[in-house]
Amino acid sequence: MTNSAAEPTALIRARGLTKAFGARTAVAGIDFDVRDGEFFGFLGPNGAGKTTTMRMIAGVSPRTSGTLEIFGEDPDLHGSAIRGRIGVVHQQETLDMELSVRENLLVFGRFFGMDRASIASRADELLELFQLSDRAKDQVEPLSGGMKRRLSIARSLIATPRILMLDEPTTGLDPQARHLLWDALQRLKRGGTTIVLTTHYMDEAEQLCDRLVVMDQAKIVAEGSPRQLISEHASREVLELRFPNGTDSIDAAILDGIGDRYERLAERVIIGCENGEAAHARALAHGLNPESWLVRRSSLEDVFLRLTGRSLDE
Amino acid sequence: MSAAQSAAPARSLSRLAAIREAAPHPTRWRHVVGYMLAVYRREWQGSVFSAFIEPLIVLAGLGIGLGVLVGDKAAAITGGVSYVAYIAPALMASSAMNLGAGEAAWPILARVAWVRIYHAIIATPLNAADVMVGAIAFIVGKVAFAATFFAAVLLITGITTSPGGAVGMIAVSILTAFAFAAPIVAFSVTQKTDQGFAFIFRLIITPLAFFSGTYFPIENLPGPAQLLSWCTPLAHAVALSRSFALGTPLTLGWLHILALLLWGLCGTVAAIYLFRRRMLK
Repeated sequence: MTNSAAEPTALIRARGLTKAFGARTAVAGIDFDVRDGEFFGFLGPNGAGKTTTMRMIAGVSPRTSGTLEIFGEDPDLHGSAIRGRIGVVHQQETLDMELSVRENLLVFGRFFGMDRASIASRADELLELFQLSDRAKDQVEPLSGGMKRRLSIARSLIATPRILMLDEPTTGLDPQARHLLWDALQRLKRGGTTIVLTTHYMDEAEQLCDRLVVMDQAKIVAEGSPRQLISEHASREVLELRFPNGTDSIDAAILDGIGDRYERLAERVIIGCENGEAAHARALAHGLNPESWLVRRSSLEDVFLRLTGRSLDE
Repeated sequence: MSAAQSAAPARSLSRLAAIREAAPHPTRWRHVVGYMLAVYRREWQGSVFSAFIEPLIVLAGLGIGLGVLVGDKAAAITGGVSYVAYIAPALMASSAMNLGAGEAAWPILARVAWVRIYHAIIATPLNAADVMVGAIAFIVGKVAFAATFFAAVLLITGITTSPGGAVGMIAVSILTAFAFAAPIVAFSVTQKTDQGFAFIFRLIITPLAFFSGTYFPIENLPGPAQLLSWCTPLAHAVALSRSFALGTPLTLGWLHILALLLWGLCGTVAAIYLFRRRMLK
């Protein structure tokens, strides 16, 4: 490929990548590169087109138009070879519930053409890594959600893929299980695996991703490292004022005078500013009477709000 | 013009690559069989009755019970052999149908819609066609195993006397399983719930067992019903199976074989097409 000489480290390269389902455009001409060894994220609300993008990369969703190269190859033409070097973890569990934990790994290794001896040793290594060794002989059904998710990830790593793709990996997990999973993913990344994940949790994106794109309504609206995105699109601090009776009646001129910018939500006003305490004092001086208030550092949530005018969980 | 000419070979090459990506791989489907065997090792006890015992109970009940009732008239229908010897090869074919159809229904739907393991498999080097070929091959293999058991019982009890005929009947059961499993797999991969199976089994599979020459010659049916019967796979399977068991010659026997093969092959192509349509959105 001609471009691989210019950008030798881009494992995934998309230009004008588009997917339409009839009249509905799920992904509308997006460009991105995923570089070797990085932790790359697609951040956005449900329906933004993240999962569809992941499916196109994984070679199970033919694109409508645009170019897509994985390892320099087109997934429409070399899907099988590409899939052999990618591990995919779906949003919903896809484990076999009748097989044991270890059998799920053994069976899967065969799909990648591995011989039985190397599958067996790799399976035991992965069970150890994901703290599932003592459940190896148990059936999958009774495992906890966190364990099932760890097993799914272990299974996707059976053939030691170059790229690991995770679609909403921590949705539905309790906080402890989430942190356990984050640690495992950080370890994998340090081991050299390129990781691509989708999430609608900003804390997850902020914690894990080296670089991410923010998606909204089928398009990429921003791209960069979490820190870059925050410094480019949000002010240093945020003042949140809560008005349980609604925010419609508040005069825009007053809000303009409090900080650098503001977003008016149903029951909250979010004000971007240099100094949150000072902004709060100005708000009170202008006669605002919020039920409660807080000051925090800006996060990706504020970036998203700024770029789309909506909150991520809306 | 010259640019278009030079682009043409590249385009046809990439079309070839796209077809290769969609077609079944010559050997990868065997890993789907391997996966199904791993599952079967865990739950084979559950299927022993339907696969092995039930067909023998039907044979004993109908062959002996109905055989007494039919009595001396049997010879007129069967051409000389006992009634049990007459229906045994037909029952073998119809249990191949039952087992093949059943395995093509719930277990397939479960994997495509409920446990979703097929979503995981098509994210590996295997493609949707490999999954379908492997799934159908496993069903055919399972029926072959059950048919071998049934044929062995027929030989041991002396209901069938020719070992060569028994081998022929097993081959017919394999073809029968293929002819039913493939189209029903194609149906199953389009379903979201199991409600459609009631239609398949009550309106197609169960009536077929009665009107395909199993218990009485197909010639006893009114003309149009005969024609309808020959349009389905079981009538061909029964004719072949009985011919092998009793050693009676069959005119145009290869046409029956062709009919079963066509059902299986068309079903497999349909299954691949419909499964791709569901999975590769």
